[in-house]
Amino acid sequence: MKFFSQSYSYDDPWSIVTLAFFLRYPNPYASHVLSCDVVSRSVTPTGSLMTTRLILKRGAMPRWFPKGIVSRAETWVVEETEVDPVGRVVRCKTQNLDHVKVMQVEETVVFRSTPEGKTLQLTEARIGSGFGWGLTRRIETHGLNKFKANLQRSREGVSLVVQLLRQSRLQPMTLGGPEHASVSLALPAQPTVEHHTSTGTDEAHTAIPRPQNSWSRLKSWLRPPPRAD
Amino acid sequence: MADSLSPQCTPLKNEYDSCFNVWFEEYLEPALATNATQKQRTAHYQRKADEFQAKCGKVYAEYQNCIQNAVKERGIEPLLQQAREEHPLREPLPPAAPPSKDSK
Repeated sequence: MKFFSQSYSYDDPWSIVTLAFFLRYPNPYASHVLSCDVVSRSVTPTGSLMTTRLILKRGAMPRWFPKGIVSRAETWVVEETEVDPVGRVVRCKTQNLDHVKVMQVEETVVFRSTPEGKTLQLTEARIGSGFGWGLTRRIETHGLNKFKANLQRSREGVSLVVQLLRQSRLQPMTLGGPEHASVSLALPAQPTVEHHTSTGTDEAHTAIPRPQNSWSRLKSWLRPPPRAD
Repeated sequence: MADSLSPQCTPLKNEYDSCFNVWFEEYLEPALATNATQKQRTAHYQRKADEFQAKCGKVYAEYQNCIQNAVKERGIEPLLQQAREEHPLREPLPPAAPPSKDSK
């Protein structure tokens, strides 16, 4: 069993880092994420948001790993998150569901708001293998090295989303407040979002720009409109 | 928004995610004074939960209906149940492990 822990500080406030953490898929640093679904979500009586997500990730077996044991290099991962908006803390626990005999990775991430208005991230991981055949240690070491590299990439992904959120929040302010700003002017290639179109035909043409929040603007940046062909 | 594990559920998932994300952004903002009472907090977050239900409840139910079937079809359900029972999120974290502290 290998253990790992690392802390990291974001200059941005907790609410924006937390939002970015939830919005982090897809991002250019996470092309290995094939799907991500919410399988359970609820608000507790104390106000915490509990979420369970089921994620399918693509991996690659190291070259030295015996052939024919793992038929597909994909893993189901379950991610359980508690967002406590009163205590300004996010706790997130992630583990793989299959291939657990080969390797089990359990990751805990905590995001905490600091008194200076920044965000502290603490990541802990336990990596274990029950594989045997003299390969257990090698697998665990490989898993740890991969974990460290991926952690770096995952932070870059979250940071990128944080940056986009920050920009998208700044822009409408320069146009005179977020409420009625014609945000599309300020954005690169804002696509028309079809499912926002209302049913009334006249209304669709005369409607004033809808108030948008950071999310709807970010969405169009992260997911450019499909090509015409 | 990443795709759903089932292509059939992806449109519902996207619709649900859009609804959730708008709600979530507001939910994260500090809405109460720091000296708010427990009762005020409970009432506030109860309101937020109701608001979520009113705005996104319907599409959430449809999405869940779709995804739960897909999870069953793919045989992931037992694994998921087992993992959640064996390693619940809400338990005291294991004591910090001293070995291999890589960096601080």
